[in-house]
Amino acid sequence: MNSPAAMAERALAAIAAARDEDELERLRIEFLGAKSELMSIPRSLASLPREQRASAGQAFNATKTAISDALARRSETLAEARISDLAAAESIDITFPGRPPALGRVHVLTLVQREIETVMETMGYHVEIGPEVETDWYNFEALNLARGHASRDMQETFFFNESEDLLLRTHTSPMQIRSMERLKEPPIYVIMPGRCYRRDATDPSHLAQFMQVEALAVDEGITVGDLKGTILYFAQSLWGADRRIRIRPTYFPYTEPSFEFDLSCGVCGGRGCRSCGGDGWLEVGGCGMVHPNVLRNGGIDPERYTGFAWGFGIERIAMLRYDVDDIRLFYENDLRFVEQLG
Amino acid sequence: MKVSYGWLCDLAGAHDLPPQQVADVLTMAGWNVEEIVPIDLSQLIVGRVISQQPHPSSRKPLWVHQVDVGDHTLQIIAGVDNARPGTLVPVALPGTTVPDGTLVRDGKIAGVDARGMLCSEAELLISDDHDSILLLDDGGPGQRLDEIIPSDAVLEVEVTPNRPDCLGHLGLARELAAALGSSLDLDFMPPFTGGAQPPGTDLISVAIEAPELCRRYIGAPITGIKVGPSPIWMRRRLYAAGVRPISNVVDITNYVALEYAQPLHAFDLAMIGGRRIVVRRARRGERLLCLDGETRSLTSDMLVIADAEHPIALAGIIGGEDSAVTGQTVDIMLEAANFDGVNVRSTSRALRLRTESSSRFEKGLSPELALAGARRAATLLAQLAGGRIHLGWADVYPRPQEPARVRFRPERIDAVLGVHVPLQEMEVILKRLDFQVRVQDDGEWDVLPPVYRLDVSIPEDVAEEVGRIYGYEKVPPTLPGARQTSWHPAAPSQERRLDPLRHALAGSGSTEVVTPALTSRVMLDQLGVGAEAMRVINPVSDEQDALRTTLLPSLLRVASHNRNYGRQGVAVFEVARAYLRRPEQPDGQPDEPLRLGIVHAGLSGPEGGRLGVLDLKGALERALDTLAPVEVSYERATATLFHPGRCAQVLVCGQPVGYLGELHPSVVEAFDLEGRAVGLEVELEPVLAIDLPRRARPLPRFPPVSRDLGVVVAEAAEAGALLRTIMEAGGELLESANAFDEYRGSQVPAGHKSVAFSMTFRSPERTLTDAEVDHRLAAIKAALVRHHHATFRT
Repeated sequence: MNSPAAMAERALAAIAAARDEDELERLRIEFLGAKSELMSIPRSLASLPREQRASAGQAFNATKTAISDALARRSETLAEARISDLAAAESIDITFPGRPPALGRVHVLTLVQREIETVMETMGYHVEIGPEVETDWYNFEALNLARGHASRDMQETFFFNESEDLLLRTHTSPMQIRSMERLKEPPIYVIMPGRCYRRDATDPSHLAQFMQVEALAVDEGITVGDLKGTILYFAQSLWGADRRIRIRPTYFPYTEPSFEFDLSCGVCGGRGCRSCGGDGWLEVGGCGMVHPNVLRNGGIDPERYTGFAWGFGIERIAMLRYDVDDIRLFYENDLRFVEQLG
Repeated sequence: MKVSYGWLCDLAGAHDLPPQQVADVLTMAGWNVEEIVPIDLSQLIVGRVISQQPHPSSRKPLWVHQVDVGDHTLQIIAGVDNARPGTLVPVALPGTTVPDGTLVRDGKIAGVDARGMLCSEAELLISDDHDSILLLDDGGPGQRLDEIIPSDAVLEVEVTPNRPDCLGHLGLARELAAALGSSLDLDFMPPFTGGAQPPGTDLISVAIEAPELCRRYIGAPITGIKVGPSPIWMRRRLYAAGVRPISNVVDITNYVALEYAQPLHAFDLAMIGGRRIVVRRARRGERLLCLDGETRSLTSDMLVIADAEHPIALAGIIGGEDSAVTGQTVDIMLEAANFDGVNVRSTSRALRLRTESSSRFEKGLSPELALAGARRAATLLAQLAGGRIHLGWADVYPRPQEPARVRFRPERIDAVLGVHVPLQEMEVILKRLDFQVRVQDDGEWDVLPPVYRLDVSIPEDVAEEVGRIYGYEKVPPTLPGARQTSWHPAAPSQERRLDPLRHALAGSGSTEVVTPALTSRVMLDQLGVGAEAMRVINPVSDEQDALRTTLLPSLLRVASHNRNYGRQGVAVFEVARAYLRRPEQPDGQPDEPLRLGIVHAGLSGPEGGRLGVLDLKGALERALDTLAPVEVSYERATATLFHPGRCAQVLVCGQPVGYLGELHPSVVEAFDLEGRAVGLEVELEPVLAIDLPRRARPLPRFPPVSRDLGVVVAEAAEAGALLRTIMEAGGELLESANAFDEYRGSQVPAGHKSVAFSMTFRSPERTLTDAEVDHRLAAIKAALVRHHHATFRT
């Protein structure tokens, strides 16, 4: 049997040479474990003569403490070394390109439509939706566009085999009537997005199928000033507080008075540049005060209530916002395009 | 409409306002000016031709002119010889650009010096005459040409269909004058200037046999005319307005049409059989040789101007060749009439013939315009063609137009506009627009619009007149809404509710697309999904002649389109409507169900298809769960467009909502796609209608115990049925079970497969012991043996 001092010498040398914590653990078992030589000493103490017991016990304790302390110190040293060495030991090429998850996109028209709705919803409007295959009444007649009306030419229409009364709506305005019918009593503040169809030749700014959104307010005392204010609020919310709008008189059968509304050009601030065609304004949509006949057709008393409506093409807004110069891109679904904006 | 800036400003009394400024004023008054084409003559000067010699060496006939331009003489070469010595001609100096865009160079032509250009009418945009140099009646060498012929500009003005009175320069000039506060140079109703005998009614008689299509017909004989060219000022204005000058008589009728918006026509009086005009519907089989050289067959829907026997003009659209004014014409009958707009429009459409005349009549003109136009034209015919105006015209006007009046309290205007317009200013604006205003004792206003304005009938119409001249820029922007006592509560829109679904699908790798709803009927029929399609009666092309009944073909087309530029795997989805015929509905409107469609294309081989189906299920379940914590299940099914062995009906909370699976290989091929494609189409409205609110549940307090089990069963046994057996036999302690692997091979008998299940057991009350779990597992195994003849892999 080795002397405790010899055991300590051997253990301390091994501990000092230990390279990692696993090895240290093995050494702890070897030198301090239940089956180790050192730990057999307490059991052998009883067989020693009484006068030797005290000194042998002390030697055992001193040795055990020395080994434990050495283990603890070495463990600490190894732990420190492991942490302090990370930079060198585990360095990776942190500039290596990332691994993109397989993510799809949401279509830009959905995003723009929702953005428009959000602005209007903050003003207390809510969304109404309705059929795309409409009757002549809702799409034309109820909107003051009688049969034979020359203005029907402005909205070339698709009709159906199934019934001569059916057509693809040419604008979202039939929803004016449907919303008034559904809600019955003003105040009515609604926004009506959806697909519309016109029998137009397709070119970079026209499609036979497109999306419109229209806002309708019917309440007591609604004025052209309210119309202007609402469009201005909308334009500034969507494009920034420095934008201005203007309304220009025009004609629609379903509003009186009727206007086109323009947005000040964001590139030149309204001074006129190439991107706005030189006059500082970008055409956005149409608007006006709801014609008394239209209110009446929606079951609203025009003597008591007035209203305004305004609308525009969602694609037009998306084109202005994302510098898209060809409306057809929105429906071709070349994913290289969709992924840029989604 | 093409508008001559010079003509407009002369009528409006608006001088010294540049074209751009005129355009701006018109635009803000409601007359959008889309384009301005300047005809700038300020760079040109007048020259006097001193001599003219043939070019000494050119093979083409050219003439060399010495031209006095005031302080010096220029040698100028021209290709025509009408600029004789002594004539006054327009000269463009080297370096200038003439109105038609030609740049004048300084150089030599066939070896001879050429310093400038003598201009034709075409080069000055006065007419399309290229064949002669314009000879001037006036001016001296070196004088600026624009002092003789003022510069002009062509404004392209958008005239709204409610204002056909502004399809003439006078109407627009009135608008411009009202906006500027200047005064108009021409009265609406010109004086009658004639006096020749015999009375016109002795020379021609007029009868209207179709009064529903012709409200007024004036036939005014003008005799002793000398047909010739019209003066340059008139030809120039016509040309600027887009009308080709022909002869003084025709030019005058066109000129007055472009001024008053009242179309006119001149007949050769001698060619009117029986000296009798009958306005009637065409008879069966009648034909007319029209002025454009075409012979047209007429139907009884069409209104004609006939003489005693034959049609001689198509009412309101085009004249006949046989009764046209020619160089030999001496006496004419001037027609100023009013035809029904709807009828003119339908005839014009039926014959595919739209003219300056039909485009005005179809908007619905006032019959009062006819007399004004006739008087103006008669006066010009007397002045410029030496005609005699006879007394007593034939003027058949059985139901004269009722005067319109609008009564309202003037505050009403402020209430519409949202701004206070001082009463006096309101009155001035209306008077400038030719309205009469009578203020009643009770403060109400009685407003009479001018006779040519058929668009004003309610106070809102008057508010529009006041507003656009007062200026909408003066209306302060405000937001609506007083203190409300009632309201309609808000609810998130259907579309917004679907956004989490969209984002979940995008998060699982699919991209949203928006595709057209109009599609090809033949394609739908070929795919076997055309039976319920709504068919468009007047499509633009047969690629877009029906409404889609399913989203899947649109998505396959997108996949195909993207594959064509080399994209292999395409995963796309769309949230949109299908359109299904519903003939039983009283109004015939189709059903427009909102659907989700997904297609993943470019998968490789049968195994790719199988895995694609599993991925699709996973994506669908994740996406639907964002709407509500619904339970999604599948039942084997067959459906059009789908692979017969790889299709399931999708059930949400037990309710069938659509189909999912691999798409039929022949369908995939039809879209030129390679490999396999999987897809699904489900109804979204039933899912949105499921009222299954999310509620927080207490978190489990005791640990789960997991076990895996390999189950060997015959090929025909399906995981869905096995799982049902496991869940039933597992009892309350079985929290969940799922299949995670399928194996066929050496360790499994032929015709069999091994399906691996993972199971999680848990009790809400205690930590489960191994013995309890083993007991449940034994029950599950027993049930699998009983129902599916299963054996187990150890």
